[in-house]
Amino acid sequence: MDWRTGKLPLAGLRVVDWSLYWAGPYLGMMLHDLGAEVVKVESPANFDPMRTVIDVNRYVGAKARPMTPQERQNVNQHFNEWNRGKLGLAVDLADERGRQVVLDLAAESHIFIENHRPGAKSKLRIDYEDVRALRPDVIYISISGFGQTPPERDAMALGAPVELPSGLFWLNGYLDDDRPAKTGFSYGDPAGALAALSATLLAVRTWRRTGEGRFIDVAMRDALSFGNGAAFVDRSMNGVERPRRGNRHPVFAPQGVYRCAGADEWVAISVRDDGDWAALGRALGDPDWQADPSLATAEGRRARHDDIDAHIEEWTSGRSAREAERALQEAGVPAGAALDFRQLWHDPQLNARGAFQEVQHPAFGVEVRATSQWGRGKLPQPIDMPAPCFGQHNREVLTRILGRTPEQVGELERDGVLANEIRVSAD
Amino acid sequence: MDELSDLRVVELSRTAAGAFAGRLCADAGAEVVLVEPTQGHSLRFEGPFRGDAFDIETSAAHLHANAGKRSVTLDIDTQAEALRSLVLGADVFLTDLPAHYLDPLRLDWASMHRDAPGLVMTRVTPFGDTGPYRRYEATNLVCLALGGQLKITGDPDRPPLSNFGSQAEYQGGLSAFAGTVANVLLRDASGEGEYLDLAIQDVVATNLEHRPPALNLGLVANRAGLSVSATYGVYPCADGWVYLTAFAPALWERLKSVVRVDALEDGRFATQSARLEHNDELQAVLTGWTLSKTSDELRAFALEGYPLTVAETPERLLQGEQWRNRGAVHEIEHAAAGRISVLGPPWLQAEAPPPRPAPALGEANAEVLGAVSEARG
Repeated sequence: MDWRTGKLPLAGLRVVDWSLYWAGPYLGMMLHDLGAEVVKVESPANFDPMRTVIDVNRYVGAKARPMTPQERQNVNQHFNEWNRGKLGLAVDLADERGRQVVLDLAAESHIFIENHRPGAKSKLRIDYEDVRALRPDVIYISISGFGQTPPERDAMALGAPVELPSGLFWLNGYLDDDRPAKTGFSYGDPAGALAALSATLLAVRTWRRTGEGRFIDVAMRDALSFGNGAAFVDRSMNGVERPRRGNRHPVFAPQGVYRCAGADEWVAISVRDDGDWAALGRALGDPDWQADPSLATAEGRRARHDDIDAHIEEWTSGRSAREAERALQEAGVPAGAALDFRQLWHDPQLNARGAFQEVQHPAFGVEVRATSQWGRGKLPQPIDMPAPCFGQHNREVLTRILGRTPEQVGELERDGVLANEIRVSAD
Repeated sequence: MDELSDLRVVELSRTAAGAFAGRLCADAGAEVVLVEPTQGHSLRFEGPFRGDAFDIETSAAHLHANAGKRSVTLDIDTQAEALRSLVLGADVFLTDLPAHYLDPLRLDWASMHRDAPGLVMTRVTPFGDTGPYRRYEATNLVCLALGGQLKITGDPDRPPLSNFGSQAEYQGGLSAFAGTVANVLLRDASGEGEYLDLAIQDVVATNLEHRPPALNLGLVANRAGLSVSATYGVYPCADGWVYLTAFAPALWERLKSVVRVDALEDGRFATQSARLEHNDELQAVLTGWTLSKTSDELRAFALEGYPLTVAETPERLLQGEQWRNRGAVHEIEHAAAGRISVLGPPWLQAEAPPPRPAPALGEANAEVLGAVSEARG
């Protein structure tokens, strides 16, 4: 892949991205990273709710007045992250002419992605069957909480809540705790988006060879469960419940997250084998407790994991997380500071690999955006476009892609079929 | 299920990252040859084991992530040339070993690309080939830490908490698989091989929804435990846990219509900003309701589309109707482990055959390595 020369696997393909929140938009963004032209489709009454979920003013100053939804629509930093590189089309889907614009666009596109609840798209009649009638070889991707199959098809789940029915929530938790624990972000979304991307690329390979499209059904729940497939094998093989294991590892001992100097500063340390154990001793200055022969094997270390943790924390609590990380890494022990978002932004490794780039957004101004994860390390991969303002590319999409005349576009604008502002009452 | 059936993949992995990517290649129909050290792949040591008795053939981590593969054993420090021949005869070389380890063994991209111009190579490592951490040692936990997912998980008054399993490596494996298929598409068109240098830290740091507001608004989220707010968080119920999702006006109305508690009509809860302002009071009212309901009662509400989800155990999911209807789980017979349930790939494959069981250590040595040594004469 080469972003300078445009040698990208999906070059020449067009995507209709009729999706919302995170999973679907992230999939659309990654398809753009791989070379596709992506048109984000929204409707004034049925826009991507990510546009308004955060009131920016709440965070830029406590005294600032609340923003109206219309003021929020183009500056949301979630929306602008996961929709960069897309063209923005806003048409009223309740108007038959608006729906026809979307269907015409689907007919001119190779891939259609959506992550509405199964009932919603049927109501708007932009289901797989509707699109396939116009474009028999379409690759149509639906991402949902539980999949498009009964009985759970109509149940609702976003990327965070779906962790509960995936089993991951049940498995997560502090050491020997009775209470499960929740991942600190909406993990179902990126897991579902990457699974959907994988299935889409496989479908593109088949399409290029046979000309056949397909319907792809990805459930965020399934994507989370697959990552824990070992637990499902275990349950079927042994039929027993396991205690929660916190930060410990079934093989590596010790492993933990240790308190460092400063407020809420932590370093993660793993001792994979006896070699790492010896290296840990060197990093810590060969303390007496560490030379205990009963700790020479992983089994011995597991038996006294609590004692070892206390000794390690005595050492880590006297230095910053980054100092501890460097000292341990110099000795060859796997270790890393638990970074917060600001530290991520300034992390020398992520920056050396070009993880972040500044982009000028027409409504927000200068924004920091993440680059494509497949382009890191060697290729400059300039982000070509910020996320679209609501309806920003209406004219371009209708004239360049759909061949409508400026007069026809003007009429749709006058009648409010094409829009530039969301319709919602303030809560 | 047969999209990659014309391809042979050689997987040289030591962690779940490479193993997951290889597993998905096998699910898509590729012939995947897993190259293991003579003592066996690391996942064979992770367990849990059948009957909790150590056996490298019954480790659950191996049975899941290595399903569908062939197995050969090689000591790469002494048999690097045999491995190189095996790789040069393949379509895809997938590894999670770092460049500074493989390059001296002539398993580097430049020389292999010269000798096999059509080879697609994917390397998924904690930090990638470049940058100041490229020689850092890392595990799944270290990748979660330096990728930003560790610090935000867990309770505010306790240490950051690792997710169960190998979630950083899983994300890296998914992304490595997608990137590999992307490069196969390029090779289909040009005949030319491609190289992907993928860093797990990059993937983990990208897959974070709180990062963009943090970087652009200074909004640094911290660990929130079970609950982001009263209208978006986990509640205890009579016999389990439930997540209420009601942060938007329409969702709030829908939740109220199932909770049906008069106190929710109070002016303190009239708008979302009012609900945030009276968060603790609202939480108390809603907790009263969730504690009065069983998981079964709440599941019935979820099926009707109310904005809540119910915590499930792995056992219950395996027995549930949804996965059976979707063909998402397969019961297969494994020579050493017996009858086990293995999940299919994370997209619907209604007509797909079940995954083939994970291989016994070195079961394909004679067939696969024999053919290579014959070819080398």
